[in-house]
Amino acid sequence: MADEDEDVPNLQAPAVEDVEDNEENQEYLRTLSKLAQLSIYSGTVHNTSSLSLPKRGEKDFESHSTQLQLSTLETSRAAMHSVLSWQRTHNPKAHLLAMYHEASNMACVEKVKSSHFITIGRSWGGKEWLLPEEALFMIERGTLDCRWPILTGEEGPEEAGEAGEANKLKDCAPMSLQGAYAAFLGFEGGVGGKLTMEMWNVYAGLKRSGYVVFRHGDWDEDRAALQPLKPPTIDPNKKPALLSGFFAEIWRRISQPTHTVRAENLAFGPLIKPGLYRSYADIYRLLHLIPTHDRTTPPQFSLPSNPANPYRIHFDVWKTHGSQRFRKANRPPPDFHVCVVDARETSIPNAAQLNDLLATVPDDPPPTTSTNIFQKLKHGTRNVVLAIVDNGIPSYISLLDSPFEGEKVYDRGVRGGRGKGRGGGRGRGRGRGRGRGR
Amino acid sequence: MADSTPATSTPTMEPDVASEATIPKPFPISHIAGRYLLFDVNVISYARRTHNITGVLIGTIPNLSQQNVFLGIPLELQPEEARVLVEQGHAFIVDDAEVHRKGMMAMSREQRLKLLREMDREGMELAKAESRKAEERSTKALKEKGLTRKEKKSDESNSSAAVEGSETSLFDSKGETPTAVSVSEKKLEPVPITPTTSYPPLTTPSANAASQLPDVPKSYPLFRYLHSKGYFTMPGLRFGCHYSVYPGDTLRFHSHYLATGLDFDEEFELQDVIGGGRLANRVKKAYLIGGEVTSENDKEAEGDEIAPVRTFSIEWAAM
Repeated sequence: MADEDEDVPNLQAPAVEDVEDNEENQEYLRTLSKLAQLSIYSGTVHNTSSLSLPKRGEKDFESHSTQLQLSTLETSRAAMHSVLSWQRTHNPKAHLLAMYHEASNMACVEKVKSSHFITIGRSWGGKEWLLPEEALFMIERGTLDCRWPILTGEEGPEEAGEAGEANKLKDCAPMSLQGAYAAFLGFEGGVGGKLTMEMWNVYAGLKRSGYVVFRHGDWDEDRAALQPLKPPTIDPNKKPALLSGFFAEIWRRISQPTHTVRAENLAFGPLIKPGLYRSYADIYRLLHLIPTHDRTTPPQFSLPSNPANPYRIHFDVWKTHGSQRFRKANRPPPDFHVCVVDARETSIPNAAQLNDLLATVPDDPPPTTSTNIFQKLKHGTRNVVLAIVDNGIPSYISLLDSPFEGEKVYDRGVRGGRGKGRGGGRGRGRGRGRGRGR
Repeated sequence: MADSTPATSTPTMEPDVASEATIPKPFPISHIAGRYLLFDVNVISYARRTHNITGVLIGTIPNLSQQNVFLGIPLELQPEEARVLVEQGHAFIVDDAEVHRKGMMAMSREQRLKLLREMDREGMELAKAESRKAEERSTKALKEKGLTRKEKKSDESNSSAAVEGSETSLFDSKGETPTAVSVSEKKLEPVPITPTTSYPPLTTPSANAASQLPDVPKSYPLFRYLHSKGYFTMPGLRFGCHYSVYPGDTLRFHSHYLATGLDFDEEFELQDVIGGGRLANRVKKAYLIGGEVTSENDKEAEGDEIAPVRTFSIEWAAM
């Protein structure tokens, strides 16, 4: 809440309805004239041009039981019904078949025919394997036709032969969307997997928005089955803070007045002894009493490894890089790290959990060239995105470790806040070089 | 169309009475990975229309998978919604993983071949319908340009002429004429389909009396109360509350309240009231708190199993 509305708290919030409309995306409103055709065509695959979403429109405050209102609502409902009725059909020419693999709860694609596989799946044994969320996403968007495996011993004599392998896939029962949810999410617990509905919500949401999403590190089944939550390893490449930190330290030593007050003397004397001070910065430095977290030490875990700890990085997320080709085998450092949280079962992370979560994120200090203090603080040294899912609706919160103690306001020189005469006088008096920002 | 019964594939703009009749009552709610999902579009419409249950659509709409504004099947029910439906006998919980493990993973050969034949038949219907439509479109486009279709094979022109009048009969005759493939001048392949629900191959599970009630948070009494008064609810995390409460279908109405359920004797920070009240006010709603009256006297007085719920709405007084 902004301060400016402190005195006029209500009834004139501008454009609130717009805000709400954006947030409540469930409005299928008044249909286009196309809608009639739409529901007729809805079964067909290839002419996607005739598929269109109904437009969103105005909503009413409350029911006034008019025929108009009722019929508008009815139209909206019908529009929604017809959109939800769209069927997943496959173009026979680009028919992408996969086989469900029970032991790993993954899907195995024999022939990769789609550009989706640039950002999805992994090759193993000459085949492309899809993780549960990847397979489910591909099925749900109508790209993949997944099949249930045939029960062992149930193969007919003609299928059992060695030649049967090739055309076997087409003779398997197709997996419905419901079946896919039951398998990839419902069976997940049975194979020691860790994919939850919330993670799936977040994955699908990010994928729909066009991000490239991969699991972060070690929660593939093979490892997770052995040890539920491996304490995420501290990034070995992590440099002890920055080089600039080192220089800053030297600079600090050079520039600071030598007569610092020792801790035991603080109780008896003034913090700032009488003397010659040529800048406020020197005085501020003397006032710096409260120790802060040292960012130069390597991060450590403060909690023992615990599979029940909900705070861990789940997904690495990349922005789509336009023309730049993404190579899944050789991925660049991710743009975002996402931790998925179930809003209904998890409370706010405590400091230890936060520390441990942030310790698993690569150190990513703001660029040293940046001079904007607020940009630096907003960037943080480590940041993680919390995806908080309340019953299928994700909210994304960015959480970052802001290096406040590294950004000394008095060192930076806040311009504009000073009187003219003073500013000029100081500058001449110092003569200490440009870097001081006086 | 999702459940692939011929009756529902007829497009209608009116309330789908025919399809509503096919909904099993009580209807099954899929319980997958601890969540409650609905997959049948008719059930989804029915629950919304009849029981004021909206849920949250979480699925990707096929062919429109690049947007997050309109989502599709499945519908995720809040545990509270599932609980209300089950308590009132409108629905029952099905462990979908178990059903599929038994039904699909261990499907017999005969069943499987039957299913495949069925899928092929449907796919063929689609392929035929589609090629017909393509035909129609091109004829129409040619007509608009003042051209006529060049000489076609005779049976082709017959069929396209017949199409004019038989738009509906195409769908109606679905069941009887699986083998009539007269359209295929070029060879048609059945369109592979991924069905939405598993219930054509699997038999709809029957209502299980022993199906356990969904676990619900402590705000459930408030939810049940609001639901019983005819309100629609949506999850309220975005507004920092438990539920955003609508006076009618969320498609048509703005929400009136941001509701938080509390225990009746629960102590809470006054700041929560300020925060909730201000946020609610900011978005032109009222903050609403409520809880079950649990004192012994009240319970006896009511003589009812369900304790009454009292609610308080908090608005900013513009002093």
